[in-house]
Amino acid sequence: MIDVFFQYDFLRNALIAGVLIGLIAPMLGVFLVVKRMSLVADALSHITLTGIAFHLLLANFFAIFSLYDPIYMGMVFAVIGSLFINQLRTVYGHFKELAIPIILSAGVGLAVIFISLADGFNTDLYSYLFGSVAAVGNNDLMTIIIIAAIVLVLLFVFYKEWFFLSFDEEQAAISGLKGKWLELLFSILVALVIAASIRIVGILLVSALMTLPVASAMQWAKSFKQMFVYAAIFGQISVLSGIFLGFHLDLAPGGVIVVFAVIILLLSLLKNKIVKVSMNRNVQNR
Amino acid sequence: MMAKASTIVEVNNLTYQYTDRPVLQNLNLNVEEGAFLGLVGPNGSGKSTLIKCILGLIKPQAGKLSLFGSEVHRFDDWSKVGYVSQRANRFNAGFPATVFEVVSMGLFGQLGLFRFMKRNDRDKVMQALKTVEMDAYAKQPIGKLSGGQQQRVLIARALVSNPTLLILDEPTVGIDATSARRFYELLRKLNQDQGLTLLLVSHDVGTMTKYVTNVACLNKSIHFHGTAHEFETNPNLSSLYGYDVQHIIHEHEEIAK
Repeated sequence: MIDVFFQYDFLRNALIAGVLIGLIAPMLGVFLVVKRMSLVADALSHITLTGIAFHLLLANFFAIFSLYDPIYMGMVFAVIGSLFINQLRTVYGHFKELAIPIILSAGVGLAVIFISLADGFNTDLYSYLFGSVAAVGNNDLMTIIIIAAIVLVLLFVFYKEWFFLSFDEEQAAISGLKGKWLELLFSILVALVIAASIRIVGILLVSALMTLPVASAMQWAKSFKQMFVYAAIFGQISVLSGIFLGFHLDLAPGGVIVVFAVIILLLSLLKNKIVKVSMNRNVQNR
Repeated sequence: MMAKASTIVEVNNLTYQYTDRPVLQNLNLNVEEGAFLGLVGPNGSGKSTLIKCILGLIKPQAGKLSLFGSEVHRFDDWSKVGYVSQRANRFNAGFPATVFEVVSMGLFGQLGLFRFMKRNDRDKVMQALKTVEMDAYAKQPIGKLSGGQQQRVLIARALVSNPTLLILDEPTVGIDATSARRFYELLRKLNQDQGLTLLLVSHDVGTMTKYVTNVACLNKSIHFHGTAHEFETNPNLSSLYGYDVQHIIHEHEEIAK
């Protein structure tokens, strides 16, 4: 059942890509969640769709675009979108979350126009929306490997700065941390991770991979460091199950990944409930 | 009175205004090394604005502000300054971090980029927790502690970089009276035993004046700066800046003229 993944290139690619995004998406997601920015992932995934649609439209007119993977245009749009979100969050100070619906709807609006101008929906677009086991080409895999390496190195280097900033922005500024640059760098990384994950998870569900494993990790972790370990483990379980079942049952992997992430979350909540009840019993029995 | 070299905070003719309304006007204030200064004033008197100016978070329109003898916007040795702000609005209580992790943040500014916590740094964190008697809670999640305990942890975070000056903005808001008293006693101990200079902003004038050595009264500018004893024995000041401050702001402006 598993060896088939090593016989075919495309399956091997999907597997390696899955392991990588199952690692980096939830780990970056830890910071997103504690900064209360979970929905930013959603806005950025939709703006990535705009980029992809724009590329597909251009490819209709200029043959040269067919040579390149639309995901690069998606990445460019996602990075630009993340810069806009950062800017809007500053402009709307007390209503920071307003940046998300603004970018999300602008992104979807434009995407719909681009899609109608190009030939409308096709199977290619379908795989971007819901992910696909067969979609990870060699170039895609290379891009994902490079992005994963960048993300892992930067997470390691800036761990303490991002930790401080997400816990207490004011205090971090007083200790001399350059908050603005660190925020910007973080937003760009989020945009890149989303663009990298889309091949497997799909645009509509990519934000789930950044937030659900983190929500589960919160039920287990006893420190901030442990959050990353649990989020990565839960991310791996979800992504690998998604790829295996997606292939064997011919399902879109994005859906399976999210369903597994939800099951893990429910089990985590249940475990905490059981622990609490048994602790109360112990107290009562004394 | 004291030599200039021991003046830690020096504010001269400072003016700060949001749009057209001046919050601080021609304000002068010196904080000497080793002082435990209580800053009191009614709501809207500019206490938090003054603190933000001192911390270099906002830039005043006029006047001079020096920290340790250098102009605040050129000052870069922020590990000398510890800051503890109001507990209530500062962090998300569910934040998944341990007490130890929170206190370590106090060292991040000093460590700088590309450097990580070493054994020596971990010892510093435990030492700071011991000072505030919270070392037994090092592995607990910060959100599980009481308000008073959280505030002690944040003091530990401010102390871990071994500062000379500790600034506290309304640190006892939302903390019960017993914990607040214990908290003030800790501050007094830090001031007397370790020679830490303290600048404390508080509403709780009655309790605070029992612990501080000096008091400064603020309402747009400093109207009084003297010893705690002088403040308490001056019937005008203690009634004006005492318990019922909000109702007599206007009256005070009359007197100030």
